[in-house]
Amino acid sequence: MFTPNPRIGVKQVECLVKMGRAYCVDDLVEKYLVSLPTVDASYITGLLIGQILVQKDYVVLAAQTPQREKEAQSGGPTGGRAASSLDDIDLQWVSEHARQVSQMLPGGLSVLGVFLIHPPELSKEAQNTLRRLIFAVDKRISKGRLWQLKAEDVSERVMLQICSKTRKAICRTFDVRDPKCSAKPADWKYQSGVAGSWQALQCSVELDLGIPISETSSTNVEKCTKEGLQRWAKQIETGLCLINGKYLADNFDMTSGQKKSAKGAQPKLQAQILIQAAGLGAEQRSTASVLASSGFLTVKGVVHCRAYVYTNKPRAWQAVEAIKRDVMDTVSCRTEMLFEDLLMNEGDSDKGAVGGLQPLPLRVFAPVPGAGFCVCDYMFPDESVVDVRRRFKEMLDCDVPEETIDTSQEAAAEDSEECTNNGAPEIPTEASKSPKSLRPYIGVGIAAGVALLATALSLLYLDITN
Amino acid sequence: MVLLDVSSIIFRLRGGLELTCQLDSTDGPSVQQTLSEAFRRLCSKIRSESLVFSVRNSHILIWPNKGVHIIPDEVTENTPCKDIQHHIQAEENDSGKKSFKKKDKKGTTTSVINIDLMMEMTEPSHLSAPTLTRRNRKQHSVRMTLPMDCVASVPTDDNIGAVSGRLVGALCDQLADMEKVVLQHMKGTSLLLPQPLHFLLPEPAGLVTAVYPAGVPDSRLEFVRKELHGRFELPDDRPCFRRANAFHFPDEPYKDGYLRNPHTAVNLPTMENAKPYLVQGVYSYHHYMQDRMDDNGWGCAYRSLQTVCSWYQQQGYVDREVPSHREIQQALVDVGDKPAAFVGSRQWIGSIEVQVVLDQLLGVTSKILFVSQGSDLASKGRELANHFQAEGTPIMIGGGVLAHTILGVLWSETTGQIKFLILDPHYTGGEDLQLITDKGWCGWKGPEFWDKNAYYNLCMPQRPKTI
Repeated sequence: MFTPNPRIGVKQVECLVKMGRAYCVDDLVEKYLVSLPTVDASYITGLLIGQILVQKDYVVLAAQTPQREKEAQSGGPTGGRAASSLDDIDLQWVSEHARQVSQMLPGGLSVLGVFLIHPPELSKEAQNTLRRLIFAVDKRISKGRLWQLKAEDVSERVMLQICSKTRKAICRTFDVRDPKCSAKPADWKYQSGVAGSWQALQCSVELDLGIPISETSSTNVEKCTKEGLQRWAKQIETGLCLINGKYLADNFDMTSGQKKSAKGAQPKLQAQILIQAAGLGAEQRSTASVLASSGFLTVKGVVHCRAYVYTNKPRAWQAVEAIKRDVMDTVSCRTEMLFEDLLMNEGDSDKGAVGGLQPLPLRVFAPVPGAGFCVCDYMFPDESVVDVRRRFKEMLDCDVPEETIDTSQEAAAEDSEECTNNGAPEIPTEASKSPKSLRPYIGVGIAAGVALLATALSLLYLDITN
Repeated sequence: MVLLDVSSIIFRLRGGLELTCQLDSTDGPSVQQTLSEAFRRLCSKIRSESLVFSVRNSHILIWPNKGVHIIPDEVTENTPCKDIQHHIQAEENDSGKKSFKKKDKKGTTTSVINIDLMMEMTEPSHLSAPTLTRRNRKQHSVRMTLPMDCVASVPTDDNIGAVSGRLVGALCDQLADMEKVVLQHMKGTSLLLPQPLHFLLPEPAGLVTAVYPAGVPDSRLEFVRKELHGRFELPDDRPCFRRANAFHFPDEPYKDGYLRNPHTAVNLPTMENAKPYLVQGVYSYHHYMQDRMDDNGWGCAYRSLQTVCSWYQQQGYVDREVPSHREIQQALVDVGDKPAAFVGSRQWIGSIEVQVVLDQLLGVTSKILFVSQGSDLASKGRELANHFQAEGTPIMIGGGVLAHTILGVLWSETTGQIKFLILDPHYTGGEDLQLITDKGWCGWKGPEFWDKNAYYNLCMPQRPKTI
């Protein structure tokens, strides 16, 4: 009989560890992937969503790429034709989906990678396609982010390739920090209850940002806004975070002392963020900086921030990082959205439309059915939970009953219009009064599509400074 | 050197506050109004519940305006200040070594508790909708990080609640002082950064803070100092509020590496009916082999002169840095006292040269006291005591082949008995206070210290009458 040699055993374990990342995937994700109709469509792309941790990633959601209108009409990406190639996969479309999905995820949850269900004859191409998708998605969702990945952040993103006929799945990772990297094998394992065990952490952050718009050149407007937000984000990043009123050491186990019994029903933890009043030393100048500006942006009000950590001995530093990143993301994506929205309206109104006071879209939350966490969305004043529900369906392929959508976390703009800017009279404008059209989201089929969105900001800036 | 009461603790609160405002026009009154408004906003921020004090090197956080909320729980509003020190970990200094607080000074230093100014971003007092406002108007955007720096010297038994309240008040007062300085020195839209400095005055005033505009030299701020001297009833013949007079916090090492006032670590000898007459203020100890300069055997008078110069600089009389050997030699060449070849040489100088250089480089006049033989120095008690009382400057003495610095005398008017407090420039070692005082490189010497048969010249620098 074979007697295992313990020394060899140890070595093998080491090899396994080096071999690749482990993905711990909720059963619901498997159910979802299996349920996707692969008969009509020759292939299906989609996103994998969950939490990245040092040792392994936890996958809790998968969402297929929404169909574009013309495809929907013709019934599938290849319109009934036999798929002979994956070349017509639209990288921009998939990555725009990833960007919008990222905005719907609270802190701690992110787009982990991409899946592709394909017919057997395309299996050779699949890996290359997935590689391009992963890099395109990562590039798209990191753009506009106010924080940078740290050296210790995991930079591996996952691809899951499933053969529509054999149902055989291949899991690989790519290091998005290394454009020349090759695919590394990874371990994909289904497990029940992953989506259920999440600890929430929340806070309300008071914003009071003033951003002067330099008058030297019109293209500087975008730079000014970005720089202003980045300065603020730096303070958040370096700030001190307390949890439930306590300072916790980095490696403190957040679930210690909690009752394990009530699954998924842990009370939300309250986070507090304290910032150094202002960095001294960095800019030791002997006079005030005086900038000739052509305008001034003020971002004011209270935003609700939320993050989730997987309840397998979550460390305090993970929770802190997740909530801080949520604070930064919710501000950057909302200002971006507002600019996009304003640009969309600008088409049929005058150039002076961008001015005065604009309410930022409100953040609303909804529990994912069968899971222990919420996803979020942003609702413009002229929208309702019906729109939100539709977007959840469209973007996350997730049916959320309207009555479970929580719109109470942030105050609506009407209540606070009078307490906005101190003294300075606002310039009333057309846009701030006229009702806004629907926020463009990709499923509704904007004629100009993704490319227009991508250039939205710069165009907008050009217009408003003229 | 004035020492603070050891039964008190200094709380020092620092942090930058960002002052921002938008100027619609650049005419004086409107700028003034906008700035005052911006200062008012900062003050209300200071009074808000978001204000947090973070005790450095500890996990103590204090919300002074939230009913003095403190974490961790074992510290409360009623905790005496002295207990805070138990929560503070020793700071690691730059070299990575644990800093060692010298215990040998027997508690002569006052402890300093450093506090950082923070703001809480979360838990707002009311929900208000997030909005983005854009004003399209040509403006000037002003931004300036105000370097807040407040101190409170409090008895160790005072409780934290009281101290944090005092610090909030001090912050607001300092903002008001800064506003005054900014407005006073404003030219168009050029706004000078206000800089707070602390000065230790004789009791009862103690530590007081003055705010000066950055970049404006002391020479142009005399009117401000006049007002301060008046307010605190200080003599108007010596600087007390120049930047160089600023209080040096005991927890901050001098960056230049020279020892300050080593004589304060030397015990006073006992002598009946005698009184000490000592150097006033702060000097640094200059001696052989410093500044990567091997002057062993010839530079003692240069070093003694440097010690004298350091006194003038640190009392705020001159801005000039302590001169190097070469600069001293050049000065002597410039006045025609020495030939050009003197620069770079290893030639000795004496008391008269010291007098000339002080005049040439610092504009300081000195009296020369000639003593025909060393044994006569014992009878100069009255002259020396008068000097230290009236002028308080270190004296350079040269005689035979040696130069020394006299920092004071212990003198009995009734018996004429005398001892001299000597700072010896011939020391070639490192800046080790223990060694310097143990081995007598700085210490009290009897009249036998002087060579009986040599003659001596004492260069007694005079204090200019100025503030």
